[in-house]
Amino acid sequence: MSCSIELKSVSQSFRNNASEKNASTITLFENLDLSIKQGQSYAITGPSGAGKSSLLMLLAGLEVPTSGQGRFINDNHTSTLDNLRAEIGFIFQQFHLLPELTALHNVALPLKLRGDKQAIKKAEYWLEKVGLSDRAKHKPSQLSGGEQQRVAIARALVFSPKFIFADEPTGNLDQHNANEISDILFASCQENNAGLIIVTHNSLLASKAQHIYSLANGELTKALSTNSVNDQQAELKQVASC
Amino acid sequence: MLNHHMQLSWHYFKQEYNQPHQRLLRWVQATLMIFIVTLTLASNTIQHYLQNNLQNLLGADAVLTQKDKLTPQQLTSLKSLSKRIVNTLQINATLTFNGKWQSSKLKAVGDDYPLQGELLTSTSLQSPATVTRGGPVAGNIWLDSRLFASLMLSMGDVIKLGEESFIVARVLIHEPDRLMEGHNVAMRAIVNKLDMGKLAFPADLIQYRYLVSAAKSQVLQLIDWQKEQLPAAKIHHKSGSHPLALFWQRTENFLGLTSIILFFMAAIAIEQIAQVHLKKEQYFSAICMSLGASNVTGVQLSLFKWLINIMVLMPIVAILSSVFHWLVVSWLSATFSEIIWQLDVWLTAKTIATSVLLFAVFHSPVWLTLCQTSVSKLFHQNQKSISLALVKICALVVLVLVAVNYSDNGLLTLMLVGSILITITLIAGISWAVLTLGEKTTQQFSGLVPFTLFMMKQRLLSKSTQILGIGLSTFLLLFTLMFLKDLGDTMGAYQRTHDGNLMVAQASQSEMKAIEQWAKESDVDLRQAKPYLYAKVVKINNQTLNEFAKKPSDSLATLSHAIRLHWTQALPKTNSLVQGKWWIKDTKNWQQISLEEEVMTDLSLTLGDKLTFIIHQQSYTFTITASHVYKPGAGSIIFWVQMPEAAIAHINAPHYNMASLELNDDQWPLLGQLWQQHPTIRMVSLQELTKQFDAILAMITKVISGFAVMIILLAIIVILSSINALEDKEKKKNSVIMSFGFLKATCWQLNIIEWLITALIIATGAIAGTYLTGMLIYQSQFSLSYQPDFLILFITLTIILSTVTLLGIYASRHSLKSSVKQLMADT
Repeated sequence: MSCSIELKSVSQSFRNNASEKNASTITLFENLDLSIKQGQSYAITGPSGAGKSSLLMLLAGLEVPTSGQGRFINDNHTSTLDNLRAEIGFIFQQFHLLPELTALHNVALPLKLRGDKQAIKKAEYWLEKVGLSDRAKHKPSQLSGGEQQRVAIARALVFSPKFIFADEPTGNLDQHNANEISDILFASCQENNAGLIIVTHNSLLASKAQHIYSLANGELTKALSTNSVNDQQAELKQVASC
Repeated sequence: MLNHHMQLSWHYFKQEYNQPHQRLLRWVQATLMIFIVTLTLASNTIQHYLQNNLQNLLGADAVLTQKDKLTPQQLTSLKSLSKRIVNTLQINATLTFNGKWQSSKLKAVGDDYPLQGELLTSTSLQSPATVTRGGPVAGNIWLDSRLFASLMLSMGDVIKLGEESFIVARVLIHEPDRLMEGHNVAMRAIVNKLDMGKLAFPADLIQYRYLVSAAKSQVLQLIDWQKEQLPAAKIHHKSGSHPLALFWQRTENFLGLTSIILFFMAAIAIEQIAQVHLKKEQYFSAICMSLGASNVTGVQLSLFKWLINIMVLMPIVAILSSVFHWLVVSWLSATFSEIIWQLDVWLTAKTIATSVLLFAVFHSPVWLTLCQTSVSKLFHQNQKSISLALVKICALVVLVLVAVNYSDNGLLTLMLVGSILITITLIAGISWAVLTLGEKTTQQFSGLVPFTLFMMKQRLLSKSTQILGIGLSTFLLLFTLMFLKDLGDTMGAYQRTHDGNLMVAQASQSEMKAIEQWAKESDVDLRQAKPYLYAKVVKINNQTLNEFAKKPSDSLATLSHAIRLHWTQALPKTNSLVQGKWWIKDTKNWQQISLEEEVMTDLSLTLGDKLTFIIHQQSYTFTITASHVYKPGAGSIIFWVQMPEAAIAHINAPHYNMASLELNDDQWPLLGQLWQQHPTIRMVSLQELTKQFDAILAMITKVISGFAVMIILLAIIVILSSINALEDKEKKKNSVIMSFGFLKATCWQLNIIEWLITALIIATGAIAGTYLTGMLIYQSQFSLSYQPDFLILFITLTIILSTVTLLGIYASRHSLKSSVKQLMADT
């Protein structure tokens, strides 16, 4: 059975406290509905300040919407998004690897925290998967931007989360590296049956997702995906159990 | 342009004013400056007071003191160099009355006393003081109010001293020539000079004092004459230094030396703060340069900002130091009557300026780094910089400067700095061992503890600096407090295990025989008796003492008075040999001595050096052939200088004895009888010693407590600085952990475990360091054998563990305010 995240009629607004006199409420979006399924890929595009990252935080259950509700459906069992926490991984634009750890130890980090005795073995496997087995002993400062993001992808997927949230994962990379990284990211998520939610400005990257949404002027609209023809096939491939 | 930069610096200073690293820097600098300025002001007030005291309380233009009466020839010479001379005699004697006894300084004066100033007496304890010309008439005795009260005397009572009787006639209020005893708490009595002859005290126990009225030029001639003719005599004059001046110089030096500890802690705190400072300043400077400014602009802005920061502190430091100075002076007024507090703006400014210079050295690596900054810094964030190594070197320079400025006891300085270095090595070793072994052994296990150990091991360098900083602060605090406690405890234990409860400090041969006889008759246990003679060092390697040793020290202070020279065939059981060779039995080479190790170190003496002594007006030169130290367990009578027994045959001088006796409660009243017959025997009961010690301990407790507060304050700043230095990293780590799907509670748990492990390493290192330092310093500096109480150590461990953990967690609360959103926002 697959898992999914659902947002129903969610609105997000915040108070601008720049000065007491001119305090005003800024609404990012209102009555927004969105459903994210495990094993599928989603891209959210839109101009800066539209609220893409806030939407990502709501989907991850890390922020509470001003109104509306978010649900996590797992094996037909519905719960709040708080229960999603252990099932998600993040990939950031700035990679955010811990500088004092080697690539191998950065990847092993979430497993070690979970008390996995096979942490190092699994980390080695994932580094090999992202093509960095020869760079396992290197620290982040000794790796290029593309290599650092590969390590970050391996780190996000190593503990087999059901959903991966990526915020501009190729924003700091050149086109060649961005292509490589996005290929690895999509392939790894698909192979791992993880739902991938990407927030990006990059239309090329967004076009690789099965579902593309555009968030602008407080409205979320679904755009046509070049991959949409493959949607049905992808759903068929989806593993039944979570 | 410069004006514009200053305005800009002011603007940025205001902007950064409340940032944690700036706040911590201000705290460190202000705390240290307040300490140094208060110490300097208080010390200056004391020296100033002593100088005034010397002018007003010498009772003469010059005072010549020596153990022997001047020969008629010498007296004629002295008279030719002065307008008028008044001679007084002084001896330590024990007065007895109605079974009570009290040791006192007995002075004998004539009708010509005093020479200058006013002698004040009264007819009863309650009566007002009146100016009195001339001392008591023969057969009368005047006693000071404390002696009067302690013997429970009434006016007209008769005191027996030896075979003579004296009528108590007046209460002694003030003697104008008491300068030399200004710091002496001994009780005092005056008799007529004619009675001194009748009392027939041993001549060599009497101290002769010549109060001289002379013009300035005559005083100078007098000094030359004394150097030439009476090298063993002491001369004090109005333009000379107060006898207490050296003592207070030493006290200031000791406190100054301890400020190394504070500077050391400040160095750690500043080093931690500099990590944040450097990063921010370098980044800012690179931004400025990318906008067309030169790197001089960055340096100027940083320099001005730092100066503004210091200038803001100056008025606060000046006001608070003055308040503390006032408090210290009020406290000292119990010791120095009429000492007054005065504002000294110039000295305050000078001391603040010196401190600012030292801080500038601490801070200079930041400016040096800014000189090397380029725009490329913005592209390569991880560029290596030598600045942090420079910070450490600069801190070391400052510490050496402070140590050189204040050190007067080479051995103590060496041991203090040595102990700090040992503790640093120890803490670094323990950190490495605990984290490496911990990580290795828990590799196969899973959970938060192994993970924390793993993370700490990965951050070994930055974590070690944090552990070292807090560890050293804890060590210093612990040592200070433990020393205070152990000193009291050891003295308590000393009282119980001491070799006898009555110490005889000085007994002539005939007095010693009387003691032996009395002990036999009274069934008192005479434990030990050791002979000695009085000798005064006048030259070392043919140079006068002051020419040879420029820096004040305990050893120099002691050697400037007559010392007890012991003779022995074999190495005493109370000593062990540290260097050289002990003389063979009945050696023919009698002009050799063994010196206590600390004296050798303090005066930088080596084997083969020659010491010239004046012994009973004769000069003798000895060669140092050995050096000894105190060995506990075989008694407490020890001597700094020892010579072969064979020397006695060549030296004509009176012999004295030190001894220890054990009296039970019933035997104490019998002492009165011995003292009445032999009032010059100098004996002191251990109870009296303890009482004196308690008074000293109370004073030390106050000083050390104040010092401990400073250390605690700086220790907190060190902890906050070290956390501040790692805050960004910690925040990021916590956010990353949360991005793996963990809750904030996990980060809290990890933080608690990390601080527990940190505290455990710190506590172990600090306690081990304290233990080693105790072993090193206690014996050599305070003649205390260090016996730590393990229960107390365990309690201390628990207290350190909980305090450091709680403080660490509390101070880390900002780094726990992290979120995944912050990582997303970090673009």
